[in-house]
Amino acid sequence: MYKTKFEACLKRVQKPARYIGNEFNSVHKEWDDKMMTFAFCFPDVYEVGMSHLGMKILYHMLNEREDTICERVFAPWDDMEKEMEKEGIPLLSLESYKPVKEFDMVGFTLQYEMSYSNIVNMLRLSGIPYRTKDRTKEDPFVCCGGPCAYHAEPLADIMDFFILGEGEEVNNEIMDAYKVWRDSDQTREQFLERIAEIQGVYVPSFYDVEFNDDNTIKSFKPNRSCAPEKVKKRIIKDLDNTFIPEKLIVPFCDIVHDRIMLELFRGCIRGCRFCQAGYIYRPVRERSVEKLVGVAENCIKATGYEEMSLSSLSTSDYTKLFPLIDNLLDITVDKRINLSLPSLRVDNFSMELMEKVQKVKKSGLTFAPEAGTQRLRDVINKNVLEEDLLRTSNIAFKGGYNRIKLYFMLGLPTETDEDVLGIGELAQKVIESFYEIPIEERKGRSVSVTVSTSFFVPKPFTPFQWEPQNRISDMEKKAAMLKDSIKSRKIVYNWHESDVSFLEEVFAKGDRRLGEVLITAVEMGCKFDGWSDFFDYDKWMKAFEENGIDPEFYAYRTIPYDEILPWDYADIGVSKKFLMEERERAYKGETTPSCRDNCSACGAAQFGRGVCFE
Amino acid sequence: MGMAKFISHLDLLRCFERAILRSGLPVEYSQGFNPHQKMTFALPLPVGVTSECEAVDIFFEDGKATDTEICEKLNQNLPPDIRVIKTGDVCHKAADIVRAEYIIVLKGNGEIDEQWIKDFFANDEIVVMKKTKKKTEKPINIMEYIRAWEIVGKSMTTITIKLVLDAGGERNIKPDVVIGELCKENPYVSADDADIHRCKVFCKADGDLGRIEVFE
Repeated sequence: MYKTKFEACLKRVQKPARYIGNEFNSVHKEWDDKMMTFAFCFPDVYEVGMSHLGMKILYHMLNEREDTICERVFAPWDDMEKEMEKEGIPLLSLESYKPVKEFDMVGFTLQYEMSYSNIVNMLRLSGIPYRTKDRTKEDPFVCCGGPCAYHAEPLADIMDFFILGEGEEVNNEIMDAYKVWRDSDQTREQFLERIAEIQGVYVPSFYDVEFNDDNTIKSFKPNRSCAPEKVKKRIIKDLDNTFIPEKLIVPFCDIVHDRIMLELFRGCIRGCRFCQAGYIYRPVRERSVEKLVGVAENCIKATGYEEMSLSSLSTSDYTKLFPLIDNLLDITVDKRINLSLPSLRVDNFSMELMEKVQKVKKSGLTFAPEAGTQRLRDVINKNVLEEDLLRTSNIAFKGGYNRIKLYFMLGLPTETDEDVLGIGELAQKVIESFYEIPIEERKGRSVSVTVSTSFFVPKPFTPFQWEPQNRISDMEKKAAMLKDSIKSRKIVYNWHESDVSFLEEVFAKGDRRLGEVLITAVEMGCKFDGWSDFFDYDKWMKAFEENGIDPEFYAYRTIPYDEILPWDYADIGVSKKFLMEERERAYKGETTPSCRDNCSACGAAQFGRGVCFE
Repeated sequence: MGMAKFISHLDLLRCFERAILRSGLPVEYSQGFNPHQKMTFALPLPVGVTSECEAVDIFFEDGKATDTEICEKLNQNLPPDIRVIKTGDVCHKAADIVRAEYIIVLKGNGEIDEQWIKDFFANDEIVVMKKTKKKTEKPINIMEYIRAWEIVGKSMTTITIKLVLDAGGERNIKPDVVIGELCKENPYVSADDADIHRCKVFCKADGDLGRIEVFE
């Protein structure tokens, strides 16, 4: 019904191919009253959303069901949003150009706090009431999942329910429950009561939160029997026997990760203390080489992609990496398919591995020591030694790589000036290690090291969740100091000075009172906060002020252990007690071994599978 | 066809490359450090324009697939809005293309008559700025690029015109530029609503300027 007007809009916008759908392998089903419809919404542009593995899994999985239609929805870029609003077109799905409001379920994925404004904006563009309490039987159920769902209290008044953990099973259970509810004459509330009993489902309206005068939480309690005290996340126990999409959609336009992404395992054995992903995805569970090679072969056939990447949190920790790469090279080299290996760790990067990668494609190397001194690396449990980095750089230089990128964070707990300056010194040592190689063994004449720093954002479900964030102005001073200290012209230093890190912290650790701030900010025009051309700090501060909320309360305070945290509703498996112990060890500069070296009894073993039982 | 008209030329190229990989057809690769499939589109189609006469040269290894096989396998592996109509040996050089014919449906906001169209094409000179390959702009008289025009259909709110324009490597003008100028003359017709469809491409015949259609 909107297609003609929509088409006219496309002639006036940048990159119209984002909005057309109909890509190879996209799924188009006939709409009829019997079908359940699920709008899978990614709160960013097409190019970002289409690069997301989780969406590929759930889209194809839901469409495998004969009773369900799953269609994709992305945030329109500003130019398209304006055109659509001018023509009176609501937000539409990509497959059948249906208004999002006409779907039964509207599901968002929460990858990053700075996409919250886009979620609210997408509800606005869809004409769906912002607040769960204002929705009626005519409206869809609005839900979300993804890593931020574990601490998404700022969206508590906006979302009808949250899904915690891996979605392959629980989404099917919810659709089954929906089918029963739809054919009954029960209320919306009764549906939510039914699914609140499913493990992994959090219905925020079933919990009452009381606050103290000092803004801390006084109590956080379920208000009915169907709602559990704590919602335990879902995991897939056997990753070889779960749905893996192979007929992946092949986009027309260039997207961020335009390739086959092979997921080797979930979880990470490392336990870096700043890294939320390292805790929330525990325990580590691997796929078998046979399964992965089979999936890779089918994906290549079904997509025609010319590139494949191995994607997991720390890919080189896959126990059978060499056999896997050998097998994959057998099926990719002849077909001219590039194999790329991201997120390599310095400590187990070896010559052998590099030579294997080189066979296909030689690109720059990136390492993330994260901190400039061994002391601070011990604090954050990033078990990378300086010798390791220099040894690997040496191997890399001899192998013909002349450009190395190093990633660090500023504002880590216990950080001193010495740690900050250590970043520049470490980069300098990498440069020197190049010149220590005898001239006849060097490949290439010169060397360059790019140093990038980001500002540390303490996240829930890490040992640093109780830590205050460094003030942005302090971190800017540290960055400036580091910049001044770097003299070599062979070192390029980039840093992203930004107030976004502050807002990210506020929404990462915020409570449900932030929902109104979010709605105010969106009504003022905030959106795409992760994009520097849109982020408007002053507007955000005005939105906080209008709602009488001090954002610094959430970011700059050391939280005592006995305080109720806004994310205490979620049980990720890893215990709070373990996180406390890890924080204490951090202060003592004590490291914790990886899950494969020694179990540290974090609590994730309760799921009964994975590395804990190997 | 359909919404596929919004795919850019480079994206279309990649779309074909991947369709060929999926099909398993024995495509030939270029030599060199970064080999790619040997494939050339004769005349890039502007974004927003549909067509029934796009020619693409793709080189397959000799004797390993018949024309019919190639056509079938490509169609199985292309997205639904992109179809291969016909396959055969290369019969023209892309450089020989000189003209293209378009069918354009103009949609009025209410009833429209045709006088303004006649007036527009009666102009001797309409100058627009054209981007050159060197990323500068130069003024061109678009009327010099229009080889023929004709009103071929009319309803209460639409007028269909046929337009033959210079096309190809030497002299080229995009149909949306002409339609953009045309619609400036009538406030009730928006260029964004116009359907532009390329229906024929003409080649230089054996060096002379006679018109040979690539597709009948």
